[in-house]
Amino acid sequence: MDFSVIFDVGVVALRILLPIYAIVIVYQCYAAMRRRRRPEKPLVTLLNLATGDKTPVVFWENSIGTTRSSDIIVDDEMVSRNHAVLLRRKEGWFITDTNSESGTYVNGELAEGRVQVYIDDTIEVGDTRFKLLRGDEYNDELRSSWFFRKVSDKPAIKAWKLMLMVTLFHFFMAVEAMFWNDGTNVFSPLLLFGALAVVEWGFFSISYFALRRVSFELEALALFLTGIGVMLLVRQVERSAYVQLIAAAAGMVLFCVIIKLIEDPDKINKFRLPLMIIAVGLLLTSIVFGKVTKGAANWIYIGSISIQPSELVKVIYIIIGASALDKLQTSKNLLEFIIFSMVCVGLLAWMGDFGTALIFFMTFLLIAFMRSGDFKTVILALVAAAIGVIFVLRFKPYVADRFKAWRHAWQYAQAEGYQQTHVLTFIASGGLFGVGVGNGFLKQVAASESDLVFGLVAEEMGVIVAITLALAVAILVIYARAITTRSRSTFYSISACCAAGLLVVQLSLNIFGATDILPLTGVTFPFISSGGSSIMACWGLIAYIKAADERTYSLKR
Amino acid sequence: MKRVLRRSTMILICTIAFIGGMAYFTVELIMSADDWASQPYNAHIAGSGGLEQAGVIYDRHGAVLAQTVDGERVYNEDPSVRRGLLHVVGDNSLNISTAVQSKYRSLLTGYSLVWGLNMPQSLRISHDISLTVDAEASAACYDALSSYGKKGACVVYNYQTGEVICSVSTNSYDPEAPPEITEDNESEYDGVYLDNVISSSYTPGSIFKLITAAAAIENIPDLYEREWYCEGSKEIGGSDVTCVGSHGTVNFEQALADSCNIVFAELAVELGAEKMTETANRIGINTSFRVDDVDTALGYFDVSKADTNQLAWSGVGQYNDKVNPLQMAIICGAIANGGKSVTPTYIKGGSGDLLKLIGLGKSPSREMFSADTAEKLEHAMRYTVSDYYGDYLFGDLTVCAKTGTGEVGKDKEPNGWMVGFSTDSDAPLAFACVVEDSGYGMTYAAPVAEAAMTAAANSLRTQG
Repeated sequence: MDFSVIFDVGVVALRILLPIYAIVIVYQCYAAMRRRRRPEKPLVTLLNLATGDKTPVVFWENSIGTTRSSDIIVDDEMVSRNHAVLLRRKEGWFITDTNSESGTYVNGELAEGRVQVYIDDTIEVGDTRFKLLRGDEYNDELRSSWFFRKVSDKPAIKAWKLMLMVTLFHFFMAVEAMFWNDGTNVFSPLLLFGALAVVEWGFFSISYFALRRVSFELEALALFLTGIGVMLLVRQVERSAYVQLIAAAAGMVLFCVIIKLIEDPDKINKFRLPLMIIAVGLLLTSIVFGKVTKGAANWIYIGSISIQPSELVKVIYIIIGASALDKLQTSKNLLEFIIFSMVCVGLLAWMGDFGTALIFFMTFLLIAFMRSGDFKTVILALVAAAIGVIFVLRFKPYVADRFKAWRHAWQYAQAEGYQQTHVLTFIASGGLFGVGVGNGFLKQVAASESDLVFGLVAEEMGVIVAITLALAVAILVIYARAITTRSRSTFYSISACCAAGLLVVQLSLNIFGATDILPLTGVTFPFISSGGSSIMACWGLIAYIKAADERTYSLKR
Repeated sequence: MKRVLRRSTMILICTIAFIGGMAYFTVELIMSADDWASQPYNAHIAGSGGLEQAGVIYDRHGAVLAQTVDGERVYNEDPSVRRGLLHVVGDNSLNISTAVQSKYRSLLTGYSLVWGLNMPQSLRISHDISLTVDAEASAACYDALSSYGKKGACVVYNYQTGEVICSVSTNSYDPEAPPEITEDNESEYDGVYLDNVISSSYTPGSIFKLITAAAAIENIPDLYEREWYCEGSKEIGGSDVTCVGSHGTVNFEQALADSCNIVFAELAVELGAEKMTETANRIGINTSFRVDDVDTALGYFDVSKADTNQLAWSGVGQYNDKVNPLQMAIICGAIANGGKSVTPTYIKGGSGDLLKLIGLGKSPSREMFSADTAEKLEHAMRYTVSDYYGDYLFGDLTVCAKTGTGEVGKDKEPNGWMVGFSTDSDAPLAFACVVEDSGYGMTYAAPVAEAAMTAAANSLRTQG
């Protein structure tokens, strides 16, 4: 056997091992997230003074009322459906009456606004009187989410080990990229890998030593995805790889800033109006100064830097939509949020950025439903959107032309279906294990590193890696839901779920658009696609998921 | 908080929908990966070294049509075989998209969904393909057809098994020395990448009388009692329909043998647009046949806007009628088969699971004629050969056939056609042959058809 065959076997072995390694990393990240953070004990206990029943209070924010969906259900005719909210803040426990008929009393005094309650205080709703006791007064077992493991289970992988695995994966990508078929610039991937490793471990050190965070698995997952996007670029446009890395670092800063900014869920109300103005301002800027690229005027250029403001507006949009539980129960009015959403979606549609407009619209539906639980609002919005679409098609029939290749990509293989057919061809060419980093041909097609990146990943690293990365993003929703009831406020629950939902909607439009299952709208694959604004927005969005984990604020290493 | 959790189910549903979409994509990928990969723009297989690792292509008796030797693709040593089977086998480029080396290139080079095209050359496993065509028969056919220097097509296939024995399209070139087509020689190589057997359709002329005859047999009960008188021309619908000569008094079979335009023009008018269209559609004039993943060119029969005179001409294969050579061979095969068509195939076998990969093994058949109609047509076509063309033409084969001369306008000579089949049990062959810009079918197409049929029959009889 000659040497070249041995070398080829080595190259193929690496390609086969990488998908397995990717699955292991994603599994380890989620396994670490499943580690239970505190024993399943009530925070406080409510003692019903008439019956002697003890009710555990397990959440940071608890609705008190007669409906079955209340956190603390009171079977009392005098109690309203959504009577009051018992909530925990840094300073202690509070109760807020949420426009009940009969009012809420603390130690016999009528509670107006948010009133602090202490252990052994009496809380009176309707004809029912409760005494607030410590959590350990409650002795029964509590059920917990299937997602979390028992405290006694084997501890998950250590954060630094996880980081080592992630970095090693990126190193293997660099090795693959060194042995690309082209044969030039052999060592440039190593240089990029070095820069990537510095950013990764720098961020880890800051989080671990300076911020003293107890967990890093969400960040590790995001770094894993980000690094793959950066390493893929080394054999595309090497300069973009560094731009992407710098933008990712900026995204990590944004991640920390947002977590700090939303530390107190009650203070967020103050930013709401300025943020709305900034958001609309950003969108207007891209309409006025925007440069039309690929049919959508969503880029603005400052010198040689191009920014896509709509990406950053996504991050703001989530803050505007989310809210704490007592606010949710007192102001059921969605009007302000609906108007803001209409302005955003309208401006995006005006720019011709239908993909982002659709993402905003879907996110609006998710937020509106999580806030109100009202199917009517959702259906109404869908009807309104359908009418809007009909109007657009009626008065701007050329818009439909952009989507005519949908499900007929092979018919228009040389025109509107060009990108989709190339994606499919090169996905098939890559097989399960890919042709190796840098050896793909999809990179010659426009937007392959952004809108079509799913195809690029599948061609160069194999369809197994591509699907694993997609699922890694999608499963964030399951994690966000699992920590919903463990959040310090519904503000975090709603924002985390909706941020994860937004990422999945975006992921769907990206993957299914590129593979001709949905119309191609040109949105990015979260974390992987090249695009500075996009990657910053992704890091900004997972900040909400991080913030929803109660340990982010309440526990230090 | 519980309420918020419950409402977040909506987001979970979105995620489940996404995972469902991914599953759908995966199924699509598994089902059509090889179609997706086999595209002419796929640089993994289309480059200069695209066939470096490709398998061997054999003819039906194991003669090598194309193989890779030391990284070079070499073709059969006989130039007539190379040129004759160019459009079946293909060349190093992907220019002839219907050729085996184009449409199955990814398979030839060892494509599979598991490994994609990522295997380094030293580790690739390639597939071989055996074709149903016979190298010698195709060469004989090519020599006859190319002697005119005209464009044309000739196909012979076994109407019982569907195996194509001979398939030649001209113009052609040598795949070992493909021409560089420039502005200067453009006209010489016009349409050279097109396999005329599969991808072209032509004005049929008198061979279309077979379809008119089928409609008449099915719809006119006293057809065989009738007699017509032909004096060379007759006014139908305001203008003349003309014949080559004056045929005198003829019955139905004699009219087909003499190829009398007047009789078939009158039959078409009597049958009317509706019945003619119904028969043409049932036989599949306006549809494509799927032959090994390639659709044949559509024929054309549409008399919805025709006046009476035009309807009359449509019945003798003029007006705007068009047929495809392979389609005509399939129709003749169906007549021979008692009315049922057998879809042709060029692929005899491949190594490994190749046949399954390219989705063969099933051969959809359609009922084109009733058994009675087929028998009557066969009898009439047999009479045409024995009475008119002469049986010496096809040696010891018992052949039923029809010629045609499709007029295409003033600046070009007509298309010479001959279609038909042999009824010999050891050589059940249907054929269609067309020579563009030539003349009478009997003069131009018949010698090519004879060469192809005798060589094909010889191949079946001596080697199976």
